[in-house]
Order: sequence, then structure tokens, then C-alpha cells
Amino acid sequence: MSWGQKLFTYALLLIAAAIMFFPIIYAFLISFMQGGEVLQGNLWPEEFTLANYINAFEKVPLLTYLFNSLIVSFLIMLGQVIFSSLAAFAFVFIPFKGRNVLFFIFISTMMIPWEATMVPNFQTVQMLGWLNSYTGLTVPFFAMAFGTFLLRQQFKTIPKELYEASQVAGISNFRFFRSVVMPVSKTSLVTLGMYCFLTAWNMYLWPLLVTNDEQVRTVQIGLKQMQSQEISTEWGVVMAGVVMVILPTLLLLFLGQKRLQEGLTKGALK
Amino acid sequence: MKKRWLFMLLLAISMVISACSGESAGNEAEAESDTETEAGSEEKTEVVFWHAMSGELEGAVQKIADDFNASQEEIEVKPVFQGTYEEAITKFNTVAGTEDAPTIMQTFEVGTKYMIDSGKIQPVQKFIDEEGYDTSQWEENITNYYAVDGVQYSMPFNSSTPVLVYNKDAFEEAGLDPEKAPATYDELKDAAKKLTNGDQVGFSILNYGWFFEELLAAQGGLFVNEDNGRAGNATEAVFNSEEGLKVFELISDMYNEGTFYNTGQVWDDMRAAFQSGKIAMYIDSSAGIRAMVDNSPFEVGASYLPVPDEANRQGVIIGGASLWMTSDIEEEKQQAAWEFMKYVTTPEVQAEWHLQSGYFAINPAAYEEDIVQEEWEKYPQLKVTVDQLKDTKPSTATQGALISVFPEARQKVVSAMESLYQGVDPKEALDRAVEETNQALEAAAKKSGN
Amino acid sequence: MSLPQAQQETQSFVKQRWLGNSRRFASLLEGLLYLLPSILLFTVFLFYPLMKTLYLSFFYSDAQGVPLSFAGFDHFVQLFSSSSFMTSMKATLLFVLYTVPPGIILALALALLANEKLRGIGFFRTIFSSTMGMSVAASSVIWMFMYNPAIGIANRFLTWAGLSEIQWLLDPGWALISVSIATIWMNTGFTFMILLGGLQNIDSQLYESAKIAGVSRFYSLRKITLPMLSPTLFFVITVSMINAFQTFGQIDILTKGGPMETTNVIVYAIYKDAFINYNVGSASAQAVLLFFGILIVTLIQFKLGERKVHYQ
Repeated sequence: MSWGQKLFTYALLLIAAAIMFFPIIYAFLISFMQGGEVLQGNLWPEEFTLANYINAFEKVPLLTYLFNSLIVSFLIMLGQVIFSSLAAFAFVFIPFKGRNVLFFIFISTMMIPWEATMVPNFQTVQMLGWLNSYTGLTVPFFAMAFGTFLLRQQFKTIPKELYEASQVAGISNFRFFRSVVMPVSKTSLVTLGMYCFLTAWNMYLWPLLVTNDEQVRTVQIGLKQMQSQEISTEWGVVMAGVVMVILPTLLLLFLGQKRLQEGLTKGALK
Repeated sequence: MKKRWLFMLLLAISMVISACSGESAGNEAEAESDTETEAGSEEKTEVVFWHAMSGELEGAVQKIADDFNASQEEIEVKPVFQGTYEEAITKFNTVAGTEDAPTIMQTFEVGTKYMIDSGKIQPVQKFIDEEGYDTSQWEENITNYYAVDGVQYSMPFNSSTPVLVYNKDAFEEAGLDPEKAPATYDELKDAAKKLTNGDQVGFSILNYGWFFEELLAAQGGLFVNEDNGRAGNATEAVFNSEEGLKVFELISDMYNEGTFYNTGQVWDDMRAAFQSGKIAMYIDSSAGIRAMVDNSPFEVGASYLPVPDEANRQGVIIGGASLWMTSDIEEEKQQAAWEFMKYVTTPEVQAEWHLQSGYFAINPAAYEEDIVQEEWEKYPQLKVTVDQLKDTKPSTATQGALISVFPEARQKVVSAMESLYQGVDPKEALDRAVEETNQALEAAAKKSGN
Repeated sequence: MSLPQAQQETQSFVKQRWLGNSRRFASLLEGLLYLLPSILLFTVFLFYPLMKTLYLSFFYSDAQGVPLSFAGFDHFVQLFSSSSFMTSMKATLLFVLYTVPPGIILALALALLANEKLRGIGFFRTIFSSTMGMSVAASSVIWMFMYNPAIGIANRFLTWAGLSEIQWLLDPGWALISVSIATIWMNTGFTFMILLGGLQNIDSQLYESAKIAGVSRFYSLRKITLPMLSPTLFFVITVSMINAFQTFGQIDILTKGGPMETTNVIVYAIYKDAFINYNVGSASAQAVLLFFGILIVTLIQFKLGERKVHYQ
């Protein structure tokens, strides 16, 4: 790339980054504002104090919530990655009758409006006695059409010859799955894992329904708890909460990116 | 590669185990508390209290419960936040009648008819009668809303009314008397005209059905037939009356003159417009007023809702939410819940609640408490809201409408308000909202009729 | 034809049939074994509620959701004759149109930019994917402030640029566009990341040979990048479409379906009917229609798309 081209690319990158990141910076700035500052439309806080952060921690048991979110999101991520990769493997490498139809049935689960599932699932979980437990918070989400779809697209790029060769060599399907398919798809698995984690981290309505106890509640409920309707919300405190809640996820993204980079430079099988 | 898999597997197993143990720990804790209550069942009855109070209010609720729990040995009240009113009702609806149901449930005022019809609640009248409890100490204009045919269904908890809020500094700049807020529509229009200059617009109302209902009732207008649904199941909406039209014409006229600002339907958007000086007058809930006084960079005034010039001022309808007792639970728990409700209505508790939350005291004796009097010195705006409620003439109009499809009716009114800004004729907009509400009423009647 | 099959052909016909069948059967069993965990959960937590919804859509229910009497197709007939449902359909389709193509093009542009091998590119990649970490609720609140007509940065920017102010979320002509812009921002992080992953999987040798052949950058984008990226693109398009049809959170916080129902997309209409107005029958009917609507769109997409997708 020529010098000029490089400069141009950097300029574009910088502009795009500024636009993309502005709302997050804005949230960060609001988190330091006191009282009416937010509603008066200020952009820069009068002073940077941690008062809102302290207030946020005092108002709701944010640490407990963060811990719960961490566990719940991690469990869901693990479940989803395992279940999805198993399913995707079957869809790509094991030929059986009705495979395509079944795959489409899988995909169709993504189209069921959540409103339709909320109440019946709540009743199911109540019947199973899973209310107020990590089980009730996580297990219903383990199966995931989206993840199956993503990994299927990835697995499909693995050369068929590889599979045929392993068949000839008498390697079992499961061994092929775990010692060839999984390592080769590392990038996709990490991406999917991050996606799963973040989606689970951001869940609100389901955790609210199935928990009654602060001991198992998650951060998004805490955020909602800080906002009010009829009286004015202290946006400074809410944004302090938001910043506390997105810090772990941004950190995860950052680490994930790094991990992805490493995986790529090592040059996975290609 | 193998190692990594082993590691993953171990991790998975350990997570599952920790999850299970976490769960069983939870169960144990539960079991423990169970045995505790069993062992000392004579002493502690647990009352689970579901509420939708977030932000500052949650702290106030928690404090009431804590104080109550500390004040006696028999009952333990446990407040649990369950999301918005709608979310809480959805959940309540699903668990009612099972062991997961709460003892006390907080529901917003428009859910009143829904709760009565649900058959899952126990009217508190039963306990009032059994004990011969003196309800005359309560503010009639509040309890009226939650009483049907002389039966008190629920206990008012957080009650509010709308008031006109205005920027005193802007009034002075525009040459208006900052101590005299507009009381009639004509005065309001005049004032708004004078206040509109440069970036500042005179007046605004949030696109929210509640404000329309209030402006309607202030003139004595009814929302639905059958005495606002109090004499029987309402079958028709009647808010396209003379009174309703006055409200819509006011908005439409002022908007066309450029003295009315559309602030949408988000409360904080409206407040931002006021605090940033974009609007000089607007209508807000009495509960929100103190925060406005604290956070606005100018002097804030509050006053009664304006009415049309020729109208006879009737007063306001109570808004907010009330506490319901669930049926299908042990008598002992209900009794305990009743004890808590009684505690909540004592003057001392109500005084503190009024000051902490900005909501009204159900028990007017609370206003005589020293702490309230002191606070009123500092915030005379609070007294205005209470006076407006006291001055309200009890009638079917100010008692408020009782309809099952209230939330839907509100949405229709909001759509009609929004259409005014698109130049739709006020009469036409209102008629359409009435027609749509009638359809909803009809559909609801069909369901319960069948 | 694979090797084992060829060998079989030499064996006797009967035996071949038997073997083939049992093999196929074993294969089916094995496939199902891998799928079993997912199928089990899907059945309990997705198909069972779907069936229940389907059932409820044919009944009149009371406000508590208990079915009272058979309604036949009443709810559906009513929906198709209601102008409010038509507005919802229109809003939904427009929303998909406003968010999916621009969103994917934007994310693809960012991914192409971030795919350059430059110093410090990791930083930009993190920034671009950062919206993935933002919850819809938090992002919506931030956008609510930015769109605020009185204090929002959006209008300040317009005034600064010498343009007239816009009532972003309050003008029926702008509300859906405003929500779409916020939605595109929220989705970019994820779409960007998937597309970047796809781009980096493309063999760099292809580009090098293209360079040697001296073709233009645009030509190699069209002839190498896009075809090689097609499985990823197909995935991203399908998923974005489905997500767009199901968008709820930002509408709830930013507009509540208003003004004048211009942003009342079907999912939001269902939510209002089910959880606020307690019209369980009507809500179920809409949910069923939405489900089949997306199903058909996706089916068409699979029929058309999968053929064009280039797998290695």
C-alpha cells in the first residue's frame, strides 16, 4: 500500500471509530453527571466524581448480580457451544434421510416470537421446580439454532476429502469431530462463544420471571431497578450501572479479539 | 489437543457441579428458612410483597418493610422487585394460586378492574369489617378510586395527581406574575403566547392517556358510560363529549399557534425539555415535582390543573398504584399482610413516605407531622399538590373510570393526541379514539359474555 | 460415488440392499444422537409453546389467558380487516428494509477496512465490534438522549451543520428511520465481527495471484472476496432478517410503537396485545402469522441463496 493510501485508510478508520464509539463515550460521560446535569443536555460533566458509582453499588447488590450474570452467561455459553457444534457436525458430516428438512426445522425455531414462549416456558420451569436456580436460568437456552447454523456454515468449508480419508482410516466420527473439526473451527467457536456470552449477559425478561431472590438475579434486572417511571430517573446513577455492566463485556471482546488474532496468525489448517 | 479437550470437559463438569451445588445451597437456605419458620411458626409469618418500585422508590419501600419488621416479632415482610407493573402482573397471573404466589401484590390504577375480575384477590373490606377498622381517617379522594359499591378492594399505596409545573424565571422575563399561574385555558393560552420566544415554547403535555383523563375529569367529564363504569360494566366510551373536545381543541389550537411543544411519550424527555428551558410550562405528576425543584437551574412553580373558562373546577383523579391481597393463601398470611397494610397507613409512616417518595399520604393526619410541615416550608410546591387533592369534589368523574380495557383505551387516546400534531381535526381524532375504544370494550364483553 | 459404495456394487444385490439399509439406519441413528440434546430442548421450550400459541389463536380467552370458547378463524379474519394490523405489517417490512441492507453494507465496509494489515488495526477491530457488548436496553437509553429534541446531540449537530432540527422520534415520517439508525448501530458490532472472520478465512494466496495478474482492487473484490465470502454473507443476511423481524427492545424504549403506530412492528403489537391489553387470542394469531411469515421468507432465501453460495 502506498503512503497516501495508508493515510486515507487510517483517516477512514478513525472517522468510523469515532462515530461507532461515540454513544459509548457519551454513556461514560453521563455516568459522572450529578442531578439535573443530564436533563439540561450537558455533554461534559462538571466534575469527575465516583459518587454515582458508589450510589449504584449501594442501591442494588451489583456485585452479587455481576457474579450471577457471569455464572449464568458462562454456563449458557458452554451449553450452547457444545450443543450447537454437536448438531452442526451431524448436519454436515453424517448423511441421513431428512437431514435438510430437520435442519430447516432447527432454523425455524429462530422465528418463534419470544412473546409466545415466555409464559408457557415459565410454567414449564415452575413445574420442574427450577425457579430461583441457575438451572432455570440457563438450561432452556442450551439449544440454539443460530449457533448450529453458524457452525454448519463453518464446517461446510472443511474439505470433504478430509472426512473421507478419516473414514478410510477407520477413525470414528466422534474422534474426527473432536480432533479435526473442532480445532479447525477454532475461530468460529470463539466468535460463537463470545456471541453466546454477550447475549446471555444481556437477557432481562426471562431472568426477571424465573427469579424472586436477589441471590440469583442478574445485572440487567439491576439496571432496570435503578430507573424509575413517574419520578425522574437519576440517569447518572443508571449510566454508572451501565458502565459497570458493559466493562466486563468490553473486556471480553478485547480479549476475544486478541485470541482470534493469535488463532489466525498461527494459521489454522487451511 | 487432547489435553485441551480434557480441560474443557473438566471445566464443564466443574461448572455443572458448582451450578448444582449453588442450587442446592439455595435449596438448603430455603429449607433452612422453611424449618425456621416452622420451628417458630408461632412467631414469624412471611409476607412476600411484590412491587414495581424502582430507582429511589425501591429504597423507600425497603425502609418501610425494614421498620415494620423491626417493630414487631410475628411478621416478616419481604419486598421483591418484579419489573414494571405490566411485567409484574404477567408474572402474578401465572403463579396466582400456586405456592410461588406473593401475599401482597402492587398493581397500577388502570389494572384495578383487571384485578377485581381476575378472582385471584381478597378484598381488604373483609378485614376492615372483621375488625371494625375506622376508614374515615383515610383521604376519601384516594380510597374512593379503589372502592366499588362500597367495598374496599385494595389499599392505596403510592398515589399521585397531575399538576401544572412552570418556570418562574421565564414568567418574570415574559412579564408574567410568577406567583400566579394560569388557571383557565384562556389564561394558559395567553401565558403560553407570551412565553414563546426564540428557543422557548410556552406549554406541553406528555402524550400519555392519564393526562387527558385528568383534564377531562377536572371539568367533570366522564370517560365511559355506566357512571364511569362504577355502576356496572362500561359498554361505551363517552370521552368525545364537550369536555373531551375542549382538551383536544386546546392542544390542537396551541400547537397550530406554535405555543405547544410535542414532547413525545417518555417522561424524562419531557422533563429534559423543561429543565433545558425548551418549554416553560407543562403538566407533571405530583410525585416527580420535588426532583424537578431540586434539579432545575431556575425557580419552579406548581399550580392546579387549568380548566376551560366556563367550567366548574371538579378536581383530580388519583393515579399511582395500590396493594392487593391475594386469595388462596393461608388465613394467617392474609392476616399478617393486613397488619402490614395497617402499619403502612399510620400517620408516621405515611409522613415519611410522602417526603421520601413524593406520593400522597393516604392518611391526611400525616400532613400534621412536624417533618412534613418543615419540608413544606422548603417545598411549597408539595403543599399545592395536596391542596388540589383536598379541594377535589368527590363524584363519579373524579373517582376515575373503571374499565377492563383501560391500557388499550390509553393507547388509543395517545394515538389520537399524536394525530393532532399531524393536523387532524380534534373532533375527528377524538371520535376515532372513542370508536376504537368501543371496539375493545365490545371484544372484552364478548369474551366474558361467552 | 465414494469408495465403500463402489465396493458394495460387486456384492450380491440382496446383501447390498440390506447393508445399505442398515447402514443408512445406523447413520440416521448416529445423526440423531448428535442432535438429540438440541431436539429435546427445542421440543420442550420452543415447539411446545408454539403449539400452545397455535391452539390459543383459535380460541377466545379471558384476560388471564384461559381459553373459553372456540373462535375458529375469527382472530385472523379480524386482523386482516384491521387497519392497525396493516400498519404493523407495513412498519415491519419497512423496518427490515431500512435495517438489513444498509446494516450489512456498513458492516461489510468496516470489515473490509479493518481487514487491511496495518499497525494498530486490532484497536479498530475492537472498537468496531464493541457495540456487540452493549445491551439493547442500555444502547436504547443512550440513543433516547441523543434523539431528544430539546437536549439531544443529534439536533445540535444538525443546527451546527446549518440544517433545520428534526423531531426524530416524534415525527411519524422520521420515527421508523430513527429507530432503524439506532438498530443498525447496535447490530453492526456483531455483523462486523462475523464478516471479518469470514474475510480472514479467505486464502491470501488468491489475492496474491490476483495482484500478479494485475487486476484492479474492485475486480478482486467482486471476483474473489464476495464469492469466497458468500457462505458468511448468506448466514449474516438470513440471521439479520430474522432478527429484524423480531426487534423489540429498542422500540419499547424509544417509541412504544408510536407516533401514530408508525413504529408498531408486529412483535411490539404482539407484546402489547399479550402483556398489556390481555388479548391473548389476537396476540397468538399475530404470533402465528409472524412465525409463518418469517418461515416463508427464510424458505425462499434458502431456496435461492444456498444455490448461489460457494462452499469450498
